[in-house]
Amino acid sequence: MLHSVKNPDLSKFLVIGALLFVIGVAGVLTRRNIIVIFMSIELILNAANLNFIAFSRYLQDTGNVNAVAGQVFTVFVIVVAAAEAAIGLGIVIALYRNKETIWIDEIDLLKW
Amino acid sequence: MVLSGWEAVFFWVFAIAAIFAGLLTVMARNAVHSALFLISSLLAVAALFVLLGAEFIAGVQILVYVGGVMVLFLFVIMLVNVGAEERGGQVLNKPRQVTVSMVFCLLLVLGLLFAINVGYKGLQTRDEKAIASAQALRQGQQQDLHRGATRTSRITTDTERVGNSLYRFASLPFEIASVLLLVAIIGSVMLARTLKQEAAVDDLAPDVVAAEAARDPELAETPPIS
Repeated sequence: MLHSVKNPDLSKFLVIGALLFVIGVAGVLTRRNIIVIFMSIELILNAANLNFIAFSRYLQDTGNVNAVAGQVFTVFVIVVAAAEAAIGLGIVIALYRNKETIWIDEIDLLKW
Repeated sequence: MVLSGWEAVFFWVFAIAAIFAGLLTVMARNAVHSALFLISSLLAVAALFVLLGAEFIAGVQILVYVGGVMVLFLFVIMLVNVGAEERGGQVLNKPRQVTVSMVFCLLLVLGLLFAINVGYKGLQTRDEKAIASAQALRQGQQQDLHRGATRTSRITTDTERVGNSLYRFASLPFEIASVLLLVAIIGSVMLARTLKQEAAVDDLAPDVVAAEAARDPELAETPPIS
């Protein structure tokens, strides 16, 4: 037990990633402010990035020295997150102009 | 991959910082505070990337996420709601919804921890030999690396390898990503236009313009650009 605390390995990184992911999911499910929900989504994506990088390092340590696919994929995740944030915040601004609200329970135009 | 010594200390510092900043992101009442805590969480995760030997990704994370995306978030928060929660808005959803989602999250975290525990044990027994034999190889390669100018550390080739595989094996996705960013920029500019700006470039149906001009006389005076 003490040895694994003193020498964190792949599983510790995976646990940190899982905790960040669940915190993000909790934020998406419980918060009312649409911008905070967006930020929770960024947290989820970041947890996925942490897993990618950790596994990339693990693959390098199992002898596959050129295994950087995880790092390359992380670059794409960051790009898509940036695009998503730009579009999402554009939608939030357009929504706020029309409905004067950022509470998700008041944005129910598509609800039947 | 086992960290030891100071690396382990820094791992725990940054891991706990990332978790706590993430928790505070979700729990803070004020959205601006949430954004600032999210920035700290992203910085701590960037430090974990450095510990994992992904210096380039850590730099990209700080430049793109903290420098770009989070500044955009802060701008939108300033535009849309400064302290709406403090003016008496409810922070959380309805209590029943919150309870159900908390139970769901608890089950999720238990399942994930169980899966990581079991899966990692399997991974360890599978890769034990490969890791042991690769360790000697890796140490030999580290001896071959160039020394930095201060002669205290060696310059790794990790970033070089990332660049190589990004442009050799992932060049098509790279181009697609650039097109995606272009589309996102144009899309968000189109989305965030005001009615007046849309009318100015003659982008509205005539009946919409007439209806809006009846409400807002200023709109009728906007001359089309063309």
